[in-house]
Amino acid sequence: MGSSRSSLRRVPDGQQLLQETGFSAAVLLRLHQRFQFLDKDSRGHLRSEDLEAELSENPMGDRIVGAFFQPGQETVDFPSFVRVLAHFRPTEKNRTRGGEQPEPANSRNRKLKFAFQLYDRDRDGKISRTELLQQVLREMLGLQVTEEQLQSIAERAIQEADLDRDHAICFDEFRKSLEKVNIDHKMSVRFLE
Amino acid sequence: MFSRMAPRGRSGLGRSLAELGLLLLAILVLLDGTVLSLVAAISSESDTHEAKPVTHKNTSKKSFPVLGIKYDDVSVPFEIALWVLLASLMKLGFHLIPRLSNVVPESCLLISVGLLVGGILKLARDEVPPVLSDRIFFLCLLPPIILDAGYFLPIRPFVENIGTILMFAVVGTLWNAFFVGGLIYAVCQIAQDQYSDIDLSTIGILPCLLFGSIISAVDPVAVLAVFEEIHINELLHILVFGESLLNDAVTVVLYHLFEEFMDSGSVSAVDAILGLVSFLVVALGGVLVGAFYGILAAFTSRFTSHTRVIEPLFVFLYSYMAYLSAEVFHLSGIMSLIACGAVMRPYVEANISHKSHTTIKYFLKMWSSVSETLIFIFLGVATVEGEHHWDWIFLTSTVILCLVARIIGVVGLTFIINKFRIVKLTTKDQFIIAYGGLRGAIAFSLGFILHSEHKRIFLTAIITIIFFTVFVQGMTIKPLVELLAVKKKNEAKRSINEEIHTRFLDHLLTGIEDICGHYGHHHWKNKLNRFNKKYVKKILIAGDRSKEPHLIAFYHKLEMKNAIQMVESGGGSKLNSSFPSTVSMQNIQPKIQSPPSARPSERVLPQLTKGREEEIRQILRTNLQKTRQRLQSYNRHTLVVDPDEEGFDDLFLKKRRRMELDWKLKQMTNYLSVPRPQGSPTMSRARIASGRNTDFIPAQQKKGNKQSSDSQAYVKPGAENVPTIQIDLASPQSPDSVRLLDEVVQDQGLTMSLPSSSRGAYKTSGKDDGRDQQTLLRCLSDPGPDPDDDDDEDYDDDEPVPT
Repeated sequence: MGSSRSSLRRVPDGQQLLQETGFSAAVLLRLHQRFQFLDKDSRGHLRSEDLEAELSENPMGDRIVGAFFQPGQETVDFPSFVRVLAHFRPTEKNRTRGGEQPEPANSRNRKLKFAFQLYDRDRDGKISRTELLQQVLREMLGLQVTEEQLQSIAERAIQEADLDRDHAICFDEFRKSLEKVNIDHKMSVRFLE
Repeated sequence: MFSRMAPRGRSGLGRSLAELGLLLLAILVLLDGTVLSLVAAISSESDTHEAKPVTHKNTSKKSFPVLGIKYDDVSVPFEIALWVLLASLMKLGFHLIPRLSNVVPESCLLISVGLLVGGILKLARDEVPPVLSDRIFFLCLLPPIILDAGYFLPIRPFVENIGTILMFAVVGTLWNAFFVGGLIYAVCQIAQDQYSDIDLSTIGILPCLLFGSIISAVDPVAVLAVFEEIHINELLHILVFGESLLNDAVTVVLYHLFEEFMDSGSVSAVDAILGLVSFLVVALGGVLVGAFYGILAAFTSRFTSHTRVIEPLFVFLYSYMAYLSAEVFHLSGIMSLIACGAVMRPYVEANISHKSHTTIKYFLKMWSSVSETLIFIFLGVATVEGEHHWDWIFLTSTVILCLVARIIGVVGLTFIINKFRIVKLTTKDQFIIAYGGLRGAIAFSLGFILHSEHKRIFLTAIITIIFFTVFVQGMTIKPLVELLAVKKKNEAKRSINEEIHTRFLDHLLTGIEDICGHYGHHHWKNKLNRFNKKYVKKILIAGDRSKEPHLIAFYHKLEMKNAIQMVESGGGSKLNSSFPSTVSMQNIQPKIQSPPSARPSERVLPQLTKGREEEIRQILRTNLQKTRQRLQSYNRHTLVVDPDEEGFDDLFLKKRRRMELDWKLKQMTNYLSVPRPQGSPTMSRARIASGRNTDFIPAQQKKGNKQSSDSQAYVKPGAENVPTIQIDLASPQSPDSVRLLDEVVQDQGLTMSLPSSSRGAYKTSGKDDGRDQQTLLRCLSDPGPDPDDDDDEDYDDDEPVPT
């Protein structure tokens, strides 16, 4: 533990990040190394091109990259990088937390909120049909499907989940439609344990 | 009995039914038992009968035998059929008595019946036919069950938990075998029951280890039989079930290993290493053989579009060949069968027709059900037959050791496994896994073919363990599950939302893993998927279906299910939930804007008003058109155009609108009795108008002009919402019509989605439409290729033409 502590000092705001995200020191170091690897010009922050290079084949690539950047910002520094990845830490079941502690980043709710924000790019709190349709489905399905099929699927999806009949999916409806899915499992990367 | 029961009212009647059922059951058992013994008696008699006529021939002219008995020729099939009939009637009987089937699992009841029948047979003939011979069991009874399990194996949870399953199957079984074998040897050496006539200390270590390896394996048949009734959550089910399937390789290797050692008499280190190598060969070889046959089956199914009737046969034959081929080389037949079923399923299902799919599903379920029933009955019969060697010490110690070994094994392994799992296994889970380790007929058959001198005592012990696990553990697991409040299976079907979001999360996780630079679970899954899509699907799936994304296929399945449901439910008032969206976007919308009756939980579309309905009827009567040539125009190649090209957006919108209205009208006409259209000028014009859809578009392309009147071209004058669309003209009440439509659609490689999306604001009505439409119709009066020519090829060979 001693050696990692010392190298932890190289990580900006290392101790604070440990507290905030709940990562272990080893994981934080690994992430820092990765950050430095991605940051090819050693600028100390990442631009979207750096991240996009890794996600070239991913249909949701630019969406994921967009999630790292705060609205309006062009760069991502290490703490923000780590905070986003904190959502994907596997949840521990047995941990009890006091009421006054803020909800940890990797709680089920926070994970769902992160996913919701990926859908809801304009951040108006709802997934409208165009958001779902034009963007997400089109990205996922590529050019193999026709416009009609996309419309049908989007319509049906909204209609299944939309409980308050406003033709859009708000966060609660989103959460409800996923209540049977084991989010703790589906949105965790073992690497970050 | 009835006269006494009747005055007591309903509950009395119910009870009398149950008692009647029990009586029926008892009668059936007695009947079958007596028939079997009778049949056997007759067979012996007929021999004597045959002898007589020969002597008589010399003396007198034999009169023509009007009625005679010749049983020998048909004896074997007759007896087989009788046994299967008995098994099925038993199964029928059990389900007539609900109280019984709730408390006692079916497997216990069947074993009891087997015991009864065996007892009757023994009393009648003083000998019982050895029905559970290992050849019958391994070649005829086991494969259907395993194929059914493998074909319908839920791949996703299986692969997600493969590490855990393998640990339990391999390490767990090894641990069980050595623990039980070693300790029973120790017990034999130490203890000696003065009442038993066998000297336990003569049992060597190797026979004990052999015995241990036989009873250590969890049995898939028993697990299936019991777990199916308790409906626990998917994770536990797949863990125990997966373990029972995969431990077959371990069992096979250990069994042959110890048998070889027993014959050769000595064990060396080389042999042990060879044993390890042989395990890898057996397991991987089995999987490879299965995968090979699976790919063959998938490839064959690509070409079966003209011979739909024998499609299921290919599935069954290739799977059986996989099993037999693996058995030839002493590889694990079960693993080969599982691999074959799992590999071929996605490709075969994309190729075969809907009916073949149903056939396969029902045949597999039927065969596996009959097999399972027969296995348990034969187990009961075989218990009665054969000499048993009852040695208390051996038996009790075996039972205790098995339980202890299982518990220690599960707990120990879980401790190690939980370090690598994201979703940990709780104590409750561990208990269920340990308790669900049932032994069954595989252990019995393996014991049956032993050559050891201690075969009898081993066999008795095996039967005791089987009975103990099936009866005691099988009966108590259900109440225990309730007591411990173990999470139950999620019965609801997947919604399209879940599907979309799950895929979305898959992509997301893959992306995150890529960012972290971590080659995890999702990374490899993604790679496999892409490889699959790029190469494998092209080879193994016929036609255009190979490009169809999974989400679309899923969506189609959902829509088809809805359509079938709707047709079968009959009545026009409750239409299914995809409906509101189409109607909501139309001009009828204002009336239905705030449906008072629709609660969020119940998606019921309010009825169309009478006036609207009448209007629609009117339109339909004047604008009917055949279905088939309609489909022609929805060929995928003409539909899919580059969306970046200009001017195509509203074409898509048009098509979409028409398709969704087609669908809506099609659904409605199922409840309207609309006669098949004959020739009429309006109809032919309508036919031309809508039939020329695809030709129209290329013409558009060539002309390059966007006629805005196009958007109203399909709107009938006077009807804001109903264009000239074809109606499905199959007999309105037959659900087959819907299926036929979709099936034909699928056969042609079409992916015509059942439209439910909005029509947008393009709805206008009024005189302008009428005028524009007339001009348009006149323009289109050139028919082009005769639409009637395409009719024949759209029909399936085996489809009845709807009248």
